[in-house]
Formats: sequence, C-alpha cells, structure tokens
Amino acid sequence: MGVVHGEEMVLNIGPQHPATHGVLRLQVRTDGEVVSKITPYMGYLHRCFEKHCENVTYEQVIPFTDRCDYLASMSMNFGYVVAMERLMDIKVNERVEYIRIIMAELQRIASHLLCTGVFGLDLGAFTPFLWALRDRERILDLFELTCGARLLYNYMWVGGLSHDLPVGFVESTFKFLDYFEPKIDELENILAHNKILVERSADIGVMPKDIAISYGVTGPNLRASGVKWDLRKDDPYSIYDRFEFDVPIGQGLKGTVGDCWDRFYVRILEIRESVKIVRQALASIPKDGDVHQSLPKKIRPPKGSVYARTETPRGDLGYYIESDGSPIPYRLKMRSPAFTALSVLDEIGGGWLLSDVLAILGSLDIVLGEIDR
Amino acid sequence: MTENQQKLIDELVNKGLDGDMDAVNAHQDRMVRAKAKSMIMKIQKGILKRPPLKKISPEEVPNGDIVQNQEKKENKQESTSAKVVRKLLEKFPNEIENEEFDSHIQLKPDKWFEIATWLKSEPELFFDSLQCQMGIDVQDDILESRYNLHSMKHNHYVELRIAVSRSNAKIPSVEKIWRVADWFERETYDMLGIEYIGHSDLRRILLPDDWEGWPLRKDYQEQETYHGIIVPKMKEGWE
Repeated sequence: MGVVHGEEMVLNIGPQHPATHGVLRLQVRTDGEVVSKITPYMGYLHRCFEKHCENVTYEQVIPFTDRCDYLASMSMNFGYVVAMERLMDIKVNERVEYIRIIMAELQRIASHLLCTGVFGLDLGAFTPFLWALRDRERILDLFELTCGARLLYNYMWVGGLSHDLPVGFVESTFKFLDYFEPKIDELENILAHNKILVERSADIGVMPKDIAISYGVTGPNLRASGVKWDLRKDDPYSIYDRFEFDVPIGQGLKGTVGDCWDRFYVRILEIRESVKIVRQALASIPKDGDVHQSLPKKIRPPKGSVYARTETPRGDLGYYIESDGSPIPYRLKMRSPAFTALSVLDEIGGGWLLSDVLAILGSLDIVLGEIDR
Repeated sequence: MTENQQKLIDELVNKGLDGDMDAVNAHQDRMVRAKAKSMIMKIQKGILKRPPLKKISPEEVPNGDIVQNQEKKENKQESTSAKVVRKLLEKFPNEIENEEFDSHIQLKPDKWFEIATWLKSEPELFFDSLQCQMGIDVQDDILESRYNLHSMKHNHYVELRIAVSRSNAKIPSVEKIWRVADWFERETYDMLGIEYIGHSDLRRILLPDDWEGWPLRKDYQEQETYHGIIVPKMKEGWE
C-alpha cells in the first residue's frame, strides 16, 4: 500500500472512457500517481433485467439473457436453458447437447479472443487487437450461418435449439479450426512474451487464492490464482464429462501466481482447450436427432426453485429461478461472474499506479452489460 | 431416434396389441406415446409387421439413467443439508424454522452472523464460498434473503433462507465473512429494501442514489417523475 505523502486527489475515470470497457465510472483517490482507493459506480447500463423477467413468459426471457453478456450470448442462453431444464426435468437428445457444446466453446474462443486483444490494446499494443477481431469475425460468421444473428443469438431454447446446424457447418468449422490453430501461436508470440506487456502486467495486481474465493471470483480469474476449479470438470453439466481437456491454471511464469499476466495467459491456454473440445464434439456429433424434439408446448414449470451454475467465458454464471407454477417467472436472479470480479478491484488495485489499475481492470475481463443487467 | 427408444416403442406396441393400452397411454414421453400409437394403427391395418417380443431391462429405458442421476444428486444434497442441520442443532438449538430439509434450511435472523462464521470455520462443513445471495418478496408481508453456499474443499452445497417481515426487514450482514456479500447485499438492499445490519457501506448499487421505492417488491409503484423526467409506466401485459 502506498503511503500518503501529499495532498489527495479524487479522479473520475469514465463513465465514457475506452479503458473502462463500457459505461463504468471509477472514482479513484490518488496521491500523485499512486492509487489509494477505487470506488466503482455502475448502473449506467441497468436495464431492469430481473424486473422485466417477472412480466414475461419463460421463453421470452431468453432474448434478455442475450443482452446481458453481449460478448458471450451463447453461454448466457446455455446457462438459462440448463437451469430451466433442471427445473422442468427435461432431457434433450444427444444432437442438441453436442450442438450446444460446440456453440458454447466457439463462443468461449470468441470471447477470450476479444479479451486478450483488448488487454493488449489497454497496454498499448494495437496490432494484436486487430488480429483477434479478424479471427473472432470468422466465428461470428459461423454463428450467422447457424442462426442468422452475429451478436445476440436467441439460439438455445428450453428443450432444444431454434435451428439445426446448416449444411456444411461441420466442414466449415473444421476448416476454421485448421486455419485458427496456428493463429493462436501468433497471438501468443506477439503478446505473451512481448517485453513491454510483461513489464506492464507481470507481478502487477496479484490476487491471492483466499482473496479470490472470498470475493466470489470465478472462471479464468480464479484459475489464474492457482485454484484448479472449473465447473465443466468439477460439477459437469450437459455432456462435458465426455470430453478430454485440461484445466489450465496460473503458474506465475513471468512473475507471481495470480498477477495480470497470469490472468491474461490462462485465457490463451483456454482457447487451446476449447479448440480441443470443439474438435472432439464435431467428430462425434450424432447425425440424426430433431432439435425440436423435446420442446415443451407450453412452459409451465412445477412450483419450486432451482439454482444452476454453468461455466461461461467469465466464470460461474448462476441462475436462481423461483417458479409459482404459472408461465411467468416469480423471481429470476442472475448471479453474474463479472459483477463479483469487479468487486475485487478495490482490494487488488489499491497501492498501484494509475496506469496499472487500468491493466488490472482489463485483465479481469468485465462486461458491463452483465454487471448492470 | 435412439436404439433404446425404438426398443421401448416396440415393447409398448406389443403391450398395446395384447390389450394393455393403459401402458401406452400412461407413458410419460409424448413422442414415444405418439409413435407407439401410430405403429399400432399401422400394424392393425397390416402395413407393418409386429415387432419381435423382447424384454428390456430398466437400465435401457432412455429416461432411466437421468432418473438415477437425479436420485443420486438428491441424496447428496439431502445428506449435506441433513449434516448441516444436525450440526446446527448441536451448536445453535432453536434457530431452524422448517422441518423438511430436502431443498433448503430456514433460519431465524437473530444469530445469522454467528451461524455464518461457524459455517465457514467448521472444518467438516467449510463453506468458504458464497455462490449467490438473492432477495425475494414471498407475499404475505414476508421478504426472504437466500444464500447459496458452496465449499471448494468438500464440493458440497447448501441453501439457506432467512425470512423477515416488511415492517422490520433487518438481517445481520455477512459482508465480513464472505467479502462477496458486500455487493450482493447492496444489490438486495437496492432492489428489495432489506437492511443488512453491520454492513459498512449500504448504498444503492445499480439504481441512482435518489431513486424511491424498492423495485422488486411485488407492490412496487414507480415514482411519477425523476428529476423532471416522466417515468414510463410498466405496460399491462406484453404484446
């Protein structure tokens, strides 16, 4: 922690600032360049998601989930349908499960690409950002091919999917993966071992294990702190238990375990693991199976509640759904991973220079749509 | 269609042709039911041949494995819940309000801070992570605060609920035990107006500081204007 020597200054970063990744205002107390306290103010993007959900039917909730984390809409859809299917005791057929996993993992790659690219951008590297967006574009093309939308898909429905895979999807995806795998190495070489990036991120903003767990930090941020915890392995949902993949954790290769560099590097490793999963799923996807087979005519879950968690690119996404037996949710709460990740900022960001705080914020990979809901 | 499902349909068709149509009608899966009935019709018209008689074991029923999985899960959940209840009764008698512990444990608000401290420190339970905290308006003048706890070490879950009346909506804060509760409690305060006693910084988090009312209460009325801007009313029904 920095010692206050002179006069304190209060500085507002945002709400309109490229480094805050959306409309977020950080009120920082600084002494010269050293930051002593960070108070985040959010709610600028609050669209009353939970209140709206109490007025629409269960099917109509899905487009709202798209708009929460708009960089990983597939994963948000996935979490909701997993929760609903657990509540209503619906079993979907194999083909649907495989397609869902392929989509969720492609989405994870797209989201991590954007995160790593933007992290570079925050630290002054412009080229990798364009490379990452170029490759993300190809994934969005695949999504467009499948469901017509590039950003907000409304693709996964309770008990099925909106469309089956289009003709040629499997081949195009294999082609994309063949093209993409060498590009991961390129991205890693230009960013991860770049001297400027290492100097700017190694040993900065270290998040110890116990702090991370106490603050409810999950996903890549938690794994970067050295905790081997991944819902896909530790509490498998859907059919994740059938695939072979590793859970990368932060090892402090360039500095301390849990620093900004680890958080960034874990994401690059996760892209590789996701590629593995997509390959396995594409190779073994069943040929037959109607994606509309288990769609319920009317969604009326029994009275009761469910809390289901899934692993999105940003961490554990939980949906708590309370049903009173009517076609409208009584209460729906979304436990957002970025919300908890942002809450740790003051704890790990105090005592660093102002420019480091922006690096720490970038490494946490927050999406304001999901925080404000 | 999977092989198992085909076997199941064959069996149902055989039963139906032998006069036991109730077995077909009572089957849960709509698709299986429909397919079996259409097959029976076709066989009676002579278009199809009767499927060979086969016995299928219960494991092969398509829904069999999921049912078993669920039973396992429920058992696990129940055992964690039951374990927590057993230990709680030893340590804090008279704090549990419900009698069935299948899905959750209902607690009284008074000693919640002590119970939470104990839940986190007790080595056999070790709930080190607060997964989710949410508030809900459960009618009849009752607000509830619900906590989904998880232990990273033992990998078990439990759901706790604390109910308070609207007139005295006060619950001890657990912000100091699980740091994540800081923002969760602020959000619940923001949306439902439950006051967390002992919270160091209980302000609105998503709504502006000068917003009036608690939006997620079921009797919420929007304010007429906000800084001179007319607040749009929630439409009746959705088109």
